[in-house]
Amino acid sequence: RFGTVTENVFDDNFWENLNVVINALDNVNARLYVDQRCLYFQKPLLESGTLGPKCNTQVVIPHLTENYGASRDPPEKQAPMCTVHSFPHNIDHCLTWARSEFEGLLEKAPAEVNAFLSSPDEYISAMRNAGDAQARDTLERVLECLETERCKTFEDCVTWARLKFEDYFANRVKQLTYTFPEDVSTSTGAPFWSAPKRFPHPLQFSSSDPSHLHFIMAASILRAETFGIPIPDWSTNPKKLAEVVDKVVVPEFQPKKDAKIVTDDKATSLSSSSVDDAAVIDELISKLKHCRKTLPPDFRMKPIQFEKDDDTNYHMDFIAALANMRARNYSIPEVDKLKAKFIAGRIIPAIATSTALATGLVCLELYKVLDGSHKREDYRNTFANLALPLFSMAEPVPPKVFKHHDMSWTVWDRWVLKGNPTLRELLQWLEDKGLNAYSVSCGSSLLYNSMFPRHKERMDKKVADLAREVAKVEIPPYRRHVDVVVACEDDEGNDIDIPLISVYFR
Amino acid sequence: MDGEQLTEQETALYDRQIRVWGADAQRRLSKAHVLVGGVQGTIAELCKNIVLAGVGSVTLVDGRPVTEEALNANFLIPPDEKDYAGRSIAEVCCDSLKDFNPMVRVTVEKGDLSTRGTDFYEKFDVVIVSRCSLNAKKTINQKCRKLSKRIAFYSVDCRDSCGEIFADLQNHSCTQKKVDETIECHLQYPSFEEAILVPWKALPKRVSKLYFAMRVIEKFEEIEGRNPGETSVADLPTVLKLRNELCEAQSFTESQIPDALLERLLSGRMEFPPVCAIIGGILGQEVIKAISCKGEPLKNFFYFDA
Repeated sequence: RFGTVTENVFDDNFWENLNVVINALDNVNARLYVDQRCLYFQKPLLESGTLGPKCNTQVVIPHLTENYGASRDPPEKQAPMCTVHSFPHNIDHCLTWARSEFEGLLEKAPAEVNAFLSSPDEYISAMRNAGDAQARDTLERVLECLETERCKTFEDCVTWARLKFEDYFANRVKQLTYTFPEDVSTSTGAPFWSAPKRFPHPLQFSSSDPSHLHFIMAASILRAETFGIPIPDWSTNPKKLAEVVDKVVVPEFQPKKDAKIVTDDKATSLSSSSVDDAAVIDELISKLKHCRKTLPPDFRMKPIQFEKDDDTNYHMDFIAALANMRARNYSIPEVDKLKAKFIAGRIIPAIATSTALATGLVCLELYKVLDGSHKREDYRNTFANLALPLFSMAEPVPPKVFKHHDMSWTVWDRWVLKGNPTLRELLQWLEDKGLNAYSVSCGSSLLYNSMFPRHKERMDKKVADLAREVAKVEIPPYRRHVDVVVACEDDEGNDIDIPLISVYFR
Repeated sequence: MDGEQLTEQETALYDRQIRVWGADAQRRLSKAHVLVGGVQGTIAELCKNIVLAGVGSVTLVDGRPVTEEALNANFLIPPDEKDYAGRSIAEVCCDSLKDFNPMVRVTVEKGDLSTRGTDFYEKFDVVIVSRCSLNAKKTINQKCRKLSKRIAFYSVDCRDSCGEIFADLQNHSCTQKKVDETIECHLQYPSFEEAILVPWKALPKRVSKLYFAMRVIEKFEEIEGRNPGETSVADLPTVLKLRNELCEAQSFTESQIPDALLERLLSGRMEFPPVCAIIGGILGQEVIKAISCKGEPLKNFFYFDA
């Protein structure tokens, strides 16, 4: 593994002895780390990556091109919470929601139940202290598991599954469309249900619909698992399961006039606070205490951790069923279990052809690097997509040039100060250049900061000594300098990014 | 695999690539039979790619004995002489390819491809020829077109640091993913013979110089009765003269086919391994697209110059 943790293995000696570094990494963080090392040790870096049929190669040559970290991809956009919770418009939203419900129902709720049962007093006081909407919601879920929706037999689990179906795919939709009817307008007069919002329709449960029944099957089996209830053979028999589920009594649903539904894109929580949260929490707590007395003392639930690769555990079945029923509500095209796994599992697709292409292109650049006498314009960065097909090649970009007074430098440059200077002499040297240094560090240690009065004692100490004593830097016998990072301001108080300074003491 | 569904084994093995092109495409790949004539370095890369992708079968044709020159760019040939002595290139590569994916049937066919009849070609879905003479290219392409079964034909050649790919997919229908929707496209490809008959002046300005240079060299080899690739710098004066004649016949400016380019192609009979990987990767993906009918294929020539 590459990173600061393995710097005892991949030490200065390791890096200094390299001529060129070729990346074949699988994540951006490792790439950024290697980029930093190559920057520090002034080594050429050949970077590449593939994603399905797409591939990308980049050449980094010290002083000639910008470094890898100089340009970053924009961060991946995550769907807003209210989209996922109430207004999905593609299957990804449905799968994200499904994943979240899976975790909530089958992992988090049982875990909370166990936390309460194991140390009830601590749990209760923690909830009282929090006293907010989230604590209220959590307590409600715990009470559901232990009282209102507790399952003792597999038939109970089937009932739970049937009622969950009704809640998710009928009642919530009826409530949503009651609060926001199809023709309602927003405060600005525009139609509320305009694209990309899709107007949902409730599902009518039918035990003869195989996908409805599949939902019941997966949900009951997993629910039974959390309660440690044995799974009977007939659970996977559609006829028998249909018989059992048809016997479940489903109460009528009346939409509430004052339901609170979050519509703000920027909202980060779905729990809506209300004035009487503390009172509700107290009531829930007393119900829970009473509940606990009726349970056997060693009663615990079994939280389930999502495992996507086991085809027999019903995890993916449940998630696919949740997502597809929701998709059906919103008239979004459904996906099969395999496709659901790919999207929910977020695994990187890979094929041999783009890999071979990237490798060949990197080798071509390698010849140029080893040859050593090429100008920036001779190198090529490539982006290709074999599926389209598209091939795009470009010269690497030169590094950004920083200027101050009559000096100019890039991220590759080092400033050199010889003669074993003291801290005072270093700061003076910078002041002569019109730079006011306010902070000096070596490695991850701070050697000096103008804010700390105590640091004034260090002014007449040799920088190299400070590096040894304060930063505890181990200087190999062949090394004649230490590198320090200095933060500077110009006379107007603007921060200036200056190069690393190599302070020679021998 | 002849079943309609992918087996559990296949789904597990091909997991990462099914995420790229889908289970349906993977199914079609497993039923596809590919014929490959001429196993150079580029073709070795190509074969590796389609074997890993999981095609039904790959049949190799290359009766040449293994020489040190072949070792230069063909990574499928083991470097130890006792492993390859006395065997043909196709035989040695066949063994290596089997290791890449035991689920693919890799076999060797002996003899001259251009003399085989249409009943031989009927067995295949894709035919790829490499470093092939002009006449053989035309003949084999025609045999593919004669059958009612649609056979995709590719010709590839890499010399020096350059590569050429030609594709003839006849009548090809495919789906293409554009942003949020999938559209269907229908393409009609000309045969190699038809394609090269287009007058040079009529071609768009952006057509690579390599196209013309390769046609000159192709013609040169035909006139002189040379095996493809059997050229050297010593041939340059004759080739330049041929270029001038062809240009005059086509009312085409000679400077469009630079001397230096022709010289590189003549002396570059050996392949350059990185270019083999690049062309082999691109061609591999094209073959996969043709078999799966997913994604827009190359239309119809591709050139690369490192």
